[in-house]
Amino acid sequence: MLFRILKNSFLKRPKAVLLIFLSITMGAAVATAFLGISGEISHKMALELRSYGANILLEPSAVEGGFLREEDLPKIKTVFWKYNITGFTPYLFSIAEFSAGGKKERGVVSGTWFAKQLEVPGEDSSIQGIKGIAPWWEVQGRWPEDAAEAIIGAALAKRLNVVAGGDVTTIVRGRSQQFRIVGVVTTGGYEEEQLFAPLVTVQSLLQLPGKVSRVLVSALTVPMDDFGKKDPATMSKDEYEKWYCTAYVTSVAKNVEEVMAGSRAKPIWQIASAEGALLKKLNSVMLLLTVLALGASATAVSTSLMASMAERSPEIALMKAVGADRFQISAIFVGETLLISMAGGVVGYLLGDQLAEVISRTVFSSTIVSPLWLFPTAIISALSVAIAGSVVPLRRALLIEPVRVLKG
Amino acid sequence: MSEHTIHTPILQLTDVRKEYGSDGITTEVLHGISLTMEQGEFTALIGPSGSGKSTLLNIIGLLEQPTGGSLLMQGRETGTMPEEELTRLRGKSIGFVFQFHHLIPAFTALENVMLPLMLEEGRLTPEQRERAVWLLTRVGLADRVDFKPGKLSGGQQQRVAIARALAVNPPLVLADEPTGNLDTAAADGIFKLLYEINRESGTTFLIVTHDPRLAKRCSRVVELVDGRVVS
Repeated sequence: MLFRILKNSFLKRPKAVLLIFLSITMGAAVATAFLGISGEISHKMALELRSYGANILLEPSAVEGGFLREEDLPKIKTVFWKYNITGFTPYLFSIAEFSAGGKKERGVVSGTWFAKQLEVPGEDSSIQGIKGIAPWWEVQGRWPEDAAEAIIGAALAKRLNVVAGGDVTTIVRGRSQQFRIVGVVTTGGYEEEQLFAPLVTVQSLLQLPGKVSRVLVSALTVPMDDFGKKDPATMSKDEYEKWYCTAYVTSVAKNVEEVMAGSRAKPIWQIASAEGALLKKLNSVMLLLTVLALGASATAVSTSLMASMAERSPEIALMKAVGADRFQISAIFVGETLLISMAGGVVGYLLGDQLAEVISRTVFSSTIVSPLWLFPTAIISALSVAIAGSVVPLRRALLIEPVRVLKG
Repeated sequence: MSEHTIHTPILQLTDVRKEYGSDGITTEVLHGISLTMEQGEFTALIGPSGSGKSTLLNIIGLLEQPTGGSLLMQGRETGTMPEEELTRLRGKSIGFVFQFHHLIPAFTALENVMLPLMLEEGRLTPEQRERAVWLLTRVGLADRVDFKPGKLSGGQQQRVAIARALAVNPPLVLADEPTGNLDTAAADGIFKLLYEINRESGTTFLIVTHDPRLAKRCSRVVELVDGRVVS
């Protein structure tokens, strides 16, 4: 009988049913599309934000002195979060005296990788170095290509009156090394007081073969939340596991620290926080748009249902008069709306998935793979729209007075 | 206890009043109605338009609450009952026949009769179906059980409505001008049917009618004028 009542409703009011179906479908489609691309947008934005610079600093754990080992660096590409690590570069620093064309200046000589081809057994080959993690550096000239070439910070170059093509002699603790300057670098930061040369050359100059002072790591991370900020030392085993398996900057840092002997990894908070805040805001905007779309759908559903209720008021009044209670009246109308919403959810998902694909291709020039959770999310969105849109009409239906409707 | 049960009237109204209106402007349409109906009565409720007949019928049918006074249905005070209990009591104890029958167009005659049974039990049993068929046979529609209302005449539709009112075997049936929309022959047929059912089953009937000819055929006539019982 209930089935007959529902069937009757669908057949007798095809326009109303279609309107409700379309409203729910649109809501589910927009929610699917937004939620589908929100992950993609976050990922793309996170990649873009990596141009802000490294967000993890690895340094020796010893309070004073101490070095990291260059031979450990490839291990960074083998850690649990290896696919989130977009780049890293080592540094070996020392105070040095620079002389060029009769001018002498004190500054910092910094050995590093510029664009080193890194081969790690069992892993894909990759290029690591400053060029990757500091894309905003502006080099007038070119990057060093052999052991005796270097680039020099713009401020230091000005004081030494050196330009690309000139030579600079670098003296550290009585040992000297002549570098051919192939580029002048502008960074807007402290790097402009330094001379950057290949790591191996600086290790030799400092007589510290295979040693590294610090490593800057650039990693894709998720915004920090309250849980991410908890001290891992105070976590339960399950909490620690959850924390470790979430790409917080702290957990990725911990992960890297574990493979670098004698190291201490610290998030560079000014970068991590700015990224986190931006991604959080972006996710909030996407979520807000989704909620607004669902709200608009729920309003449309509500309006359609109100019209339908007015049309069906004699039927409702009759049922009430012959003994239908609130639950039975609700069951009929909620059942009907839920059936429509299930269909709307499935169709909305299919449409939304296509819409997300089109947006991704148009905006990011890439395809996306729908996450598994998107289908149940679309169905739940459709059901939520249906339930939210049913509240007011159902209240009206329950308030129908048989006396007024059935009279005359 | 048993003595009390034997003498419990089907319906007992004491000083029932009904006001409509708000913001201090009210109109009293029923002025202290007292009325008792015993089991098996076949009563006509008559009166001019605006006398309060329909309002009284709605209050007796538990579709409206009185502003004052008391209404006992089979000895149970209804004024303090929560809405859900009133709905249950209405479903089990009262059958309704409306002037415009109000059948569900998409249902067959049989399904319309089965509706209250399904609502009462929450499901349909073969026994309920048998009862619905029996009722339709009783009202003379044995060959129309699978017809939808659109395929039935006005008199036949009203017969389906009567069968529906009797579906749960209620002790009281309220009929609001059940013949008001029918021609004389059909009206006579419907009235005769109601009377026969009353004689056979002992079901109590309260029938609102404007037709003095039909009212005279009832065992009792209650006349309402300006919200008061005058006879």
